[in-house]
Amino acid sequence: MKLLSIMFIVFTLAVLGFSTYQALVVAPTEQTMGDVQRIFYYHAPTAWVAGLCFFVNFLASIVYLWKRSLNADALALASAEVGVVFCTIVLITGPIWARPVWGIWWTWEARLTSTLVLWMIYVSYLMLRRFAAGSQTPVLAAALAIFGFVDVPIVYMSIRWFRTQHPQPVIAGGEGSGLDPAMWHAFLWNLLAFTCVGIVFIATRYNLQKLENEVEAEHAQLALRGSAR
Amino acid sequence: MTGAVALRAAYAVTWIIPLLYLRYLLGRYRRVRSEMKDLKRSS
Repeated sequence: MKLLSIMFIVFTLAVLGFSTYQALVVAPTEQTMGDVQRIFYYHAPTAWVAGLCFFVNFLASIVYLWKRSLNADALALASAEVGVVFCTIVLITGPIWARPVWGIWWTWEARLTSTLVLWMIYVSYLMLRRFAAGSQTPVLAAALAIFGFVDVPIVYMSIRWFRTQHPQPVIAGGEGSGLDPAMWHAFLWNLLAFTCVGIVFIATRYNLQKLENEVEAEHAQLALRGSAR
Repeated sequence: MTGAVALRAAYAVTWIIPLLYLRYLLGRYRRVRSEMKDLKRSS
């Protein structure tokens, strides 16, 4: 298992190196925006990973409410935390792209606002997990996660449902949308690289949570033995 | 902000945030592992 993990980390690093080269060197420069368009190769894959993490959190929360499995709870917590990390990158790289292209850092339109709301939902989830005391905290957090996930499809569909300042979808956006084949290569490599990074982070955080649960159980046992003497 | 500066800034953000998170995870891992060792020793 340890060898498999090391092999996966090495693979992730190799793909990351190659995808960075694809994004910064191989992909052609976009005619209207110039080099700033290359932010897309980081912005869109990190948004994808954030969405994926929140989906894992959603599934794990359902499993936790159903089976009361501590492993599902650990996975829910791990995926929410990693999702917030990637969502933060999305919310920072977006305005960095917007400033030279739109002339403004931020505007309260559907895509941007729903993404900010998404980030705030999962930050509240993490705050609930961190600061609320009592055995019901994981249950409340799971319920929040299930309802909070409703915002993920809203974020995805916002540029289809509303007239927004955010660029229209270039992937699965229908007629007139799409990417140059060389841009597609760079995009897909980055999608793979960031997905692998997301998996490595979730696995690491999940194992850490399990270890913390073990420490907590050990503390409880010690306390029980102490009170029995 | 020019395009090249924006690209460099976005690139830096994309790497700095995950690296900081990784550092935080590894630090926490080290702390929990040593706590576990102490607990096993005392039990």
